[in-house]
Amino acid sequence: MAGALSTLKIVEIGEMVSAPYATKLMADLGAEVIKIERPAAGDRSRTRGPFPGDRAHTEKSGLFLYLNANKYGVTLDLSASEGMGLLERLAAAADVVIHNVPPLEMDRIGLSFDRLQRVNPRLVMTSITPYGLTGANRDWRATDLTLWAAGGICVMNGAGAEYPEMPPLKTFGQQAGFQGGVHAAAATMGAVMAQLRDGDGQHVDVSIQESLASQQELFFEYWPYMGMIASRLGRKPIQPVESLQCRDGWIYVCCIEEHQWRAFVEVMGNPEWAQEEIFSDRVKRGENWEALKIFLEEYVAQHTVLELYKKVQEKRVPFAPVSTMGDLLNSEHLKARGFFVEVNHPVAGRQTYPGAPLKYAATPWKLRMPAPTLGQHNDEIFGKRLGLSAARLAELKRKGIV
Amino acid sequence: MAAAPLQGVRIADFTWVWAGPYCTLQLAHLGADVIRIETRTRPCITRVLPPWPEGKPGGLNRSGYFNQYNQGKRSLTLNFKHAAAHEIARKLVAQSDVVVNNFAHGVMDRMGFGYEALKKLKSDIIMISLSGYGDTGPYRDYVAYGPAQVPLSGLSALTGYKGWPPMHSGFSYADPNAGIHGAFAILAALYHRAKTGEGQYLDMSQWECAMVLLPEGIMEYTMTGREPERIGNQDPLMAPHGVFRCLDRPEKIAGHAIDQWVAIVCEDDTDWARLARAMERPELGADARFATLAARKANEDELEAIITVWTSGRRAAEVVEKLQNAGIAAAVVADNKYLSEEDAHLRARDYFVYREHPEVGKKQHCGVPWKMNRTKTEVRAAAPAIGMHTDEILTGLLGYSADDVQNLRAQGALE
Repeated sequence: MAGALSTLKIVEIGEMVSAPYATKLMADLGAEVIKIERPAAGDRSRTRGPFPGDRAHTEKSGLFLYLNANKYGVTLDLSASEGMGLLERLAAAADVVIHNVPPLEMDRIGLSFDRLQRVNPRLVMTSITPYGLTGANRDWRATDLTLWAAGGICVMNGAGAEYPEMPPLKTFGQQAGFQGGVHAAAATMGAVMAQLRDGDGQHVDVSIQESLASQQELFFEYWPYMGMIASRLGRKPIQPVESLQCRDGWIYVCCIEEHQWRAFVEVMGNPEWAQEEIFSDRVKRGENWEALKIFLEEYVAQHTVLELYKKVQEKRVPFAPVSTMGDLLNSEHLKARGFFVEVNHPVAGRQTYPGAPLKYAATPWKLRMPAPTLGQHNDEIFGKRLGLSAARLAELKRKGIV
Repeated sequence: MAAAPLQGVRIADFTWVWAGPYCTLQLAHLGADVIRIETRTRPCITRVLPPWPEGKPGGLNRSGYFNQYNQGKRSLTLNFKHAAAHEIARKLVAQSDVVVNNFAHGVMDRMGFGYEALKKLKSDIIMISLSGYGDTGPYRDYVAYGPAQVPLSGLSALTGYKGWPPMHSGFSYADPNAGIHGAFAILAALYHRAKTGEGQYLDMSQWECAMVLLPEGIMEYTMTGREPERIGNQDPLMAPHGVFRCLDRPEKIAGHAIDQWVAIVCEDDTDWARLARAMERPELGADARFATLAARKANEDELEAIITVWTSGRRAAEVVEKLQNAGIAAAVVADNKYLSEEDAHLRARDYFVYREHPEVGKKQHCGVPWKMNRTKTEVRAAAPAIGMHTDEILTGLLGYSADDVQNLRAQGALE
């Protein structure tokens, strides 16, 4: 069975996470993705790791391998006019171009929607940038951490009211990049549906800051509705919803509804302290969390994570393990669903990657080929596909354009 | 402007809380007719949660939480204790392209709205379930709540200050993440249907959908056998890379001083030299303790202390302006007031929307995080009051007469 997007042709000019993740989502559904990297250096995610055995190698970076499987890889210097000319030829044959070239760099190399639309009027071009293509901050420099801050997400996390000196805390990894990527993938598919309907392309301008600001749970509206500031220093209004330490790891104790608390109390054997007035409803448990915590810590510490997790879940209480990476790789549930996948790469060897975000019944998600080595498909794409002669290609290579 | 990309596409939206509504919000942004199927007998919890205008609860239409994630949708109320409600829902599905739910595994089946049943109503229907654990596997009947999905995914074990226990992300991150991935998946399935005429069923485990965001953590383990260490706001390949204290907000809010912070990153040695100049300590650029990444990583505590001395006497916005002018990545750790009133850039981009809502009037809400130059993409209307569109959907779309509607209402089927 073919993937859902197996007739879609995409060109990616991507660095690090946002654009590469957007096109990964599509490549894993069968879309053809030609990824353009800078000659010699390649995508910066090649230097991020993790690396097998901790030995850095530009063909063995876990982040790169994960984000770029299923893609063809070519190298092209877009700051040279011959390089831009080849991009135009690739764009002419594509349905979609997705990039995360920053606005200043776009101006410098002359990458624009107008330019690519001239060679392909039905092209969808998606620009993923930190702050969008317009507005005063469009040329601001940004990284994952500064965007997590600018999007209103970082402010929500920290050590809580007891530790006001501890700073707002970034969530692990490259989450701003991932969110920019997946929001761009959805917007791009919207534009592709309109392309299918109308036969015309368009320019999609995705702001990572706005993609993050769009997911502030209920916190943003506290200002316009109530004049209240959202802060990591607020107390949780209800309890227990906290990680506590078991014999062999941490468990997230989570009783949001009253019936869940009653079921957990039953699992604990109806201890006397649980009948105390100060723990009689979720708001009181929130107000008296310091006292409650001592009792819960003592109980939880006597159990293993899995034993307690299964016991309370049987009573329909939504605890969860604070999973370590080892827990995930060994999970019987994830094994039964076949979540993790193994990919054999010519240089990095056989490695285990996270798999599909979801399962498509009719059009399977599938890894068909490993991430490209730098410039692996130059001959195939520029030679066979675009018809450049061997001599011409050799000349472009000598000039450092390919 | 040409019609919105999904104009004419109808979504039967059985979702609630956050993950599902965030999914269908994206489809509404793209022009789909999203019809939320609700009931007054068990309303979505976000309809009763804060924030409320002036802090006053009351009724089902005042919550800023609900009103954020349900913009541009219609609301149909049905009480499934009545057979007539099932009949209405079946008629709606027959006129829909996509059915979305985020119940636990099995709930839609038990209601009689499993994929096989829906396919009989509409042969090319696309259905997606955004459940906590997915439809297969030994834990498929486990209960999942938003906040617990973050630790379950592995994200908590990876997030935290150095030497501290695992921490949370501060919000139910797995929810909107599932929602936006679900929106993308629906669009891919619509594309496939447009090409082949074939609908399908999509099975999402929110747990898995969160793990796809963690390749660096998971692959550090699979490639080295080591559990990653928690490193706070730092980064192995960049320094400084942190969040630094600034002056408190000049104004007090409800009598409280509000702390402010700034995120600053130097990607390389050049950035560091620029930062040293911007702090008016140019000699630090070439200082042996900080001149190279290796040196800055080795002396990172000292480095952060020096920066904090500089930032802590300044306003966050002033620090950012100065650093961005010097070409350094920096941003205010924006809180909701900052985004709402002080981020002039977001306003200039018309990111926020103000639509008339029948009970709360015009309130500021977050809008569409992308722009399109040819087709419409917009927040068409405020979130619906509960059941606000029941009559127009029954009479306009499903062919009931006004009398039918009156009878159905009298029976209680439209509660």
